[in-house]
Parts: sequence; C-alpha cells; structure tokens
Amino acid sequence: MPAATHHILRLRHVTVRYGQTAALDDVTCDIPCGSSTAILGPNGAGKSTLLRAILGWHPLAAGDVRLGDDHPQHALPRLAYLPQRQTIDWDFPVTVRKVVEQGRYPSLKLFQRLGPADLQRVDRALEELGLTALADRQIRMLSGGQQQRVFLARALAQGADVFLLDEPFAGLDLFGAEELTHILRTWEAQGRTVLAAVHDLELARRTFTHAVLLDTTLIAAGPVRDVLSPAHIDRAFRQGRCVHDNPLHSVRSADFPR
Amino acid sequence: MTLHEFFIAPFAYDFMQRALFSAALLSVSGGLLGCILVLRRLALMGDALSHSLLPGVALAWLLFGPSTTALFLGALLAGLLTALGSALLSRLTRVKEDAAFGSLFIVFFGAGIALVSKLPTRLNLTHFLFGNVLGVSPTDVQLTAAVSAATVLVFAVFYRAILLETFDPVFHRATGGRGALIHFGFLALTVLNLVAALQTMGIVLALGLFLLPAVSAYLWCDSFSRLLLLSVGFALVCSLAGILLSYHAGLASGAAIVLCLGGVFLGSALFSPRYGAAALVLDRWRNRHPPAPRRG
Repeated sequence: MPAATHHILRLRHVTVRYGQTAALDDVTCDIPCGSSTAILGPNGAGKSTLLRAILGWHPLAAGDVRLGDDHPQHALPRLAYLPQRQTIDWDFPVTVRKVVEQGRYPSLKLFQRLGPADLQRVDRALEELGLTALADRQIRMLSGGQQQRVFLARALAQGADVFLLDEPFAGLDLFGAEELTHILRTWEAQGRTVLAAVHDLELARRTFTHAVLLDTTLIAAGPVRDVLSPAHIDRAFRQGRCVHDNPLHSVRSADFPR
Repeated sequence: MTLHEFFIAPFAYDFMQRALFSAALLSVSGGLLGCILVLRRLALMGDALSHSLLPGVALAWLLFGPSTTALFLGALLAGLLTALGSALLSRLTRVKEDAAFGSLFIVFFGAGIALVSKLPTRLNLTHFLFGNVLGVSPTDVQLTAAVSAATVLVFAVFYRAILLETFDPVFHRATGGRGALIHFGFLALTVLNLVAALQTMGIVLALGLFLLPAVSAYLWCDSFSRLLLLSVGFALVCSLAGILLSYHAGLASGAAIVLCLGGVFLGSALFSPRYGAAALVLDRWRNRHPPAPRRG
C-alpha cells in the first residue's frame, strides 16, 4: 500500500434530485486510482444515478465531481460508460470489429479516417478481450457474455482509463460472470479504474477491492471488507424495515415444505 | 417496340426529363434517410409526417395559388410543426411520442382534407395525394436538387455521428456527442425530402421512395455503409423503371415507382439468402429432416 493513495475520482457533497425526491443526498467519497470499486445499495439507492452524475448527465443540486483535476465533462475521452444492456438493437448490420472501431470515432476529426494507430488500438482491444476470432461476425451472432465483451473492447479502444459500468453482471450466466470477473481483475492489475453498480453483495466481495455503499446517502466507502460490515449492511438494507435475515444469507437455503 | 422506343424515346419530352431527374435526386437522399428510418424504427413516424404536410400545401394553394415556393414553404411549415409539436407534447405531457405523432398527424391530415375541399377544383386533391409527374416544374427540380444535395452533404459530414446516434445513442452521448441535434436535424431533413417528393410522388406515396429501398437493402446487407449504398441503388433503379412504367402504361408516377420498389421488397423478403423467408423456412425444414448419416 503506497503511503498516500492518489484519488482519480473525487465526489464532494454530491446531491441529485428528481423533482422533490433526492436520488443522491450529500455523497462525499473518493475513488482510488487503479482500484475496482463496487457501488452497492438497495434498489433506488442511487447507484445508477451516481454513475450518470459522474458523466454530467444529471445537474447537481449541490456538490462537485472531479476527475483528476478536471470536471468530468472536460475529460470525456477518459471515461467509458457501459449502460445496462437493453438499448442496443442486436439486428443492426454491424460486425464486432466495426463496433470496437466506434471507440475511436470521438477522437477523430471530421473527414479524418481511422489511421494505423487507431487500427492498432482496435486490434489490441479485440485481442485483450479474446474477440479476435469473432471480429468479422455480426453482433447478433454472439452470446450475451460475448456481446458484453464487445462493448468492453470498444471502451478499451476509446483509450479510457476510468470505466463506469452499470450492472455489468445483470443477465450473465455463471460462465459469463466468471469471465467478467476475470476481466475486471486483470484490469485492476493493469491499474485501470473500474466503478461498477452491483447489486449482489457476495459477488462484490469476491470481485472488487473497494466499495461504496449507498442508500441515497453515503453509508460507507473504502476497502470492500470494511464497507461490507454487518453494521453497514444493516443500515443500508434494513433501516427499520422488517427483513429477517442478513441479506448476505437472504437467499432461501431450504426448500419450501410441500 | 424497340429498345430505343422503350428506354430513350420517352425522355425526348422535357417533362419526362424533369421527372426522371427529380426522381433520381430524391432516390439518392431518400435512400439514405430511409435506412435511418428503418434502423431507428421510425418508419411509421415518417408515414405520419408525410400525411401531416397536406394542410400546409392546401393552405398555400388557397392563399398564393400554384406557386411552387409557396407550396414548398407551406408543406415545410406543416411538417416541422408536427415534428416539433409531438416532441413538445411528449416531453410536457404524459403522452408518449408515437401517440403524440399519431394524434397530431391525423388532426393535420383532417384539416388538410377540409382545406382541399375548399379549393376551386376537385382535381387538385388527387394531384396532392398521389403526385403528378406532368406537374414537375423546373423550379421543383431546382428545389429538389438543393434538398438532395443538402441531405448528401449532411450524411457525408456527419456520417460517424449519425451512425453512432442510430446504433447506440447512449454511447454517443457519453462520448460528448449531441444526440438531440442529430435527431432534430434528421427530422428536419426528412420533412424537407418529403416536401421535395410531393410533386413526383404525392403525399401518400412519398415515403415509399424512402422506406422501401432501405427495408429491401436491410434484407441483404451486413454493414451500415453497404446498406446505405444498396438502398440508394435500389431507389435509383426503381425510380427509372417506375417512370418508364408510368409513361408506357399510363399510370400515376408515384404509384408506378412504389410498385417497382414493392416488387424488389417482396423479392428480397422472400428470397434473400440470409434473411429472407424462403431461407428461414428451408433452414427449419433441414433442421427437422437432417440428412441420413452416411455409412462406410
């Protein structure tokens, strides 16, 4: 552990409102550079809102977000955002390689073509995510996990160093989830920063080094072990509501009697 | 009939040259726009837009008589009002955008029919609804050329932004793209092209020249750029065929062009090797009756 951790993303008193209701209330936390951080919390805790606030898509009612020393809106190429996966039309006539090439589009000027350096980045991104053999396939021919890897590859090709992933594990089967875990661990080892909204606490504990626990307000932030203490989980998920078990064990373990 | 009589002789007439020229110009821009309409699932919205042009045309006719520029501006105003009106309705009220479009266009179309019934001669209604190739004036061709050139220019300059906005608007926005601008620009271009297509194709059929080549090409292509090119190609060939058909068989030009495009679409839908119905049925049949394994 270095003596002073550098913080790539800093949030100060971030407040976002939808009309009257606060979606995020006075959230202050730091995301260490090169960490993989899970954003956790119950439904409606503001996990997705936090990601979108970082992108500058929600006007902040109060507070400030900084990426390094910049406002994130001025450093968009450094940010890659992967939404929950429903918005794409999988019948779109496009190959895997063309989708990954899209990552280079924002950095091109009008009429500028993809240069050798761009193509090299695309190749490297395809290779890193094991898509080289699938590069000429139509995206509709891929499995769910492969489709997601295409968009991760596009984010890599973009040259981003901070990855904002919204529920990346949703809808993946066991194998797909394992693969994604492996990818995220590799990225962490390479010093890339990942910030992902996740709803499975056990998965977060296994996959991520850091965590931010939200319930509209900030419950805890820091190394995942410290954040996911029983007391914190209790505050985030129960707060007076009647839940009988620790949410970590709330998956029904015995069959319902016939 | 010799080949010369069939293909060349009709274009000895000025009005046939103008009709061919304006149909070709519209094919290029319409073929491009149609692809975006198909990929963004805006086909029905385009149809609604084209119908909503009628009151603008009729009102311009009532006020200024048969002046091309007035008709053009009237239609443009009506189309933009519908597009903006439904965008506003869907943002300010509970009504969703498709319902807003549907409601507005039917009101506009009704108003248009009411206005047309006030016109001095009845003949004009069919002229507006179904187009009249004889009515394509030199001014019409100039306006069409301007609209078509503008469309091609926009596609050439903003090709990547259009592709990103069509394929993945969220990514486009996250990387600093201006989605709303592209969307409204696209709507405005569609209205402009529909207006330009008014004389040749008519209000009811204008969209056919945009939609049919695109949806036919969609059945053949696996890449966005090739989709655009093939769509324009289909539109060009069918415009020529349609105009010849309309000349020799004495059909309304818009209807003839749409019929040719319809033939291409039907053929593609049935026989496209990858995405056609025949291929799909054959594939299923093969899966149900696998060939007997060879012994040996």
